[in-house]
Amino acid sequence: MRLHEHEAADLFEKAGIAVPKRGVAETAEEALRIGEELGYPLLVKAQVLVGGRGLAGGIRTAESSGETAEAAEALLGSEIKGLAVRKVLVSEKLDVSRELYLGITMDGFDGRPVVVISTEGGVNIEETAREHPEKIASVHVDPGATFYPYQARGLLRKLGVSGKLLAACADVVVKLYRVFARYEALIAEVNPLVVTEQGGVAAVDAVLEIDNSAASRLGKAVPERLSRYENPIERKGREIGVTYVDLDGDVGLISSGAGLGMASMDIIGRRMRPANFLETGGGITEKLLYQCMELLAMKRGLRGILINIYGGINPIHEGARGVVRYMEEHGLDIPVVAKALGNLQEETWEIFRSGGVHVVTEAATEKAVDRLFELLSNDARC
Amino acid sequence: MSVLLNQDTKVIVQGITGRIGSVQTKWMLSYHTQVVGGVTPGKGGESVEGLPVFDSVEEAVRETGANASVFFVPAAFTMDAFFETVDAGVGLIVVVPEHVPVHDVLRMRAYARDRGTFALGPTTPGILVPGVGKMGIMPAAMFAPGRVGVISRSGTLSYEFAGILSESSVGQSTVVGMGADPVVLTNLPDLLMLFEEDPDTDAVIVVGEVGGEQEERAAEVVKDRMRKPVSAYIAGKFSPPGKRMGHAGAIVRGSSGTVDAKHAALEEAGATILESPVDVAVWAAAHNLS
Repeated sequence: MRLHEHEAADLFEKAGIAVPKRGVAETAEEALRIGEELGYPLLVKAQVLVGGRGLAGGIRTAESSGETAEAAEALLGSEIKGLAVRKVLVSEKLDVSRELYLGITMDGFDGRPVVVISTEGGVNIEETAREHPEKIASVHVDPGATFYPYQARGLLRKLGVSGKLLAACADVVVKLYRVFARYEALIAEVNPLVVTEQGGVAAVDAVLEIDNSAASRLGKAVPERLSRYENPIERKGREIGVTYVDLDGDVGLISSGAGLGMASMDIIGRRMRPANFLETGGGITEKLLYQCMELLAMKRGLRGILINIYGGINPIHEGARGVVRYMEEHGLDIPVVAKALGNLQEETWEIFRSGGVHVVTEAATEKAVDRLFELLSNDARC
Repeated sequence: MSVLLNQDTKVIVQGITGRIGSVQTKWMLSYHTQVVGGVTPGKGGESVEGLPVFDSVEEAVRETGANASVFFVPAAFTMDAFFETVDAGVGLIVVVPEHVPVHDVLRMRAYARDRGTFALGPTTPGILVPGVGKMGIMPAAMFAPGRVGVISRSGTLSYEFAGILSESSVGQSTVVGMGADPVVLTNLPDLLMLFEEDPDTDAVIVVGEVGGEQEERAAEVVKDRMRKPVSAYIAGKFSPPGKRMGHAGAIVRGSSGTVDAKHAALEEAGATILESPVDVAVWAAAHNLS
């Protein structure tokens, strides 16, 4: 679960990291009011959950109330990298003397968190990492261990940081690591960490992605998770407990397992256009597949549906009942092809067939996609 | 012999009294797996499918001689159960549950490694050795005995590959789900080496997916340490790119984790790239694996 910058900044501040004065606005009037309180110059920043926001025009500088209103007006309601801007962060603009990069992430292969620091922070950090690896320092941290200031100082000294800045930056790194551990993050990042002309340090951007699997035990410590799914079908998917990603094609998909779902999309994508990705996980019930059908019905212009599920942990015969019940109640008039194999497969096929679902009994997903393609081609000829 | 699971494997089921645990115990028994008991704290003395239920892993091991455990424990209790199982000296642990918090997995992995315990998952369908037994949730109908090894990041895709192979009369030596989470208890290169060293395996199929760097790192092992033929399928070519945030991952890995990058690394290492799951049948025929 990715937090918006303003949500992450609040958590960073709570952990003792200096963050510029700021306010969140949903209208130009609100932005103006915050601007009057903060004074000028200031930054107006689109709150969208995507990296590279600055280069895409999502961050503007305003020198006056007029420019603040203008920037907020321009950003609110616009799109940055395809995401609608609903809120802007209006933030004090600091006098920058230098910019550092601080990041903590999971090294999945190594199985430990890794702390990364660069003295060349800012929008070109990935390029710096490639071309000047000597400007990057990192250290792995043992799971559950404390990350100590001396470890942070070690990285910073390797990069040539000294004097007052050494302790000040190390303090931020240690606090960022505490945020990473406390909120069970997958990524915690400050880019840039600004060193001001006056010698202070402040986190001018805040990135925090929390492990979805930990969200329930974190409870009220983190913002409400449903608020981040802006697409109504994706939000509904989250509510019923499936992973749904909306795409712009017209062939609907229900699959059990992310890998099988991705493979199904790859195979559909060769000849047709997938309308969505939908992965049930290991929790198939009659009700869940009924709800999955409801979910797909929210999608306009669907021409056909592929159901690709396996009965390992999932009672696929129960799932089949849900699909068939939906079709009976709603008189669905597009072809539905099901490939359902594994435990209780024969029983499952019977149920699907009784509801008019086209059943494919071979293992290869290609066969099911072929069948759906044929059915849709016949449809087009009518 | 086979990989990880064989005739000497005695399995306990943790969470055996739960809805999923009890059903899956029945399926494992009907596949002739030596399941010897189960553990659910507070339900010691009960029985499931004729097997004794114990309050603790230590007791279950003492009473049954179990040397392996499969988990059907709720995600929130998985770390506790895992430490208990490692402490009880069980050598092989299969963690089936999904949604285990990643920070827990880090600790579990370090704990198991320090004590020499072999573990798979989380979010794994487990291990299946055709004709011998299975630990986990793989549907037996898809598998047939033979000499091809399968390692898969995705559970259901491992069934798809086994099913396609079985339909083409190509049997499998062992099928292993490595787990679908961003951090898993055993990495892909380590699993590949088990198959390389297994006298019952002639060739190996890697079923990977977009993201992370398991396949890129596996390519190093394929190139430098393996002699058996390897083919690889990577799911996710047409998946929309994630709306990536932050730079730390890219800085640390220096690899993009895309399907193309994984293909390039594996191909360079001498593996055969399968564009689609059905292509595995063609590859198997070309290598006389039936």
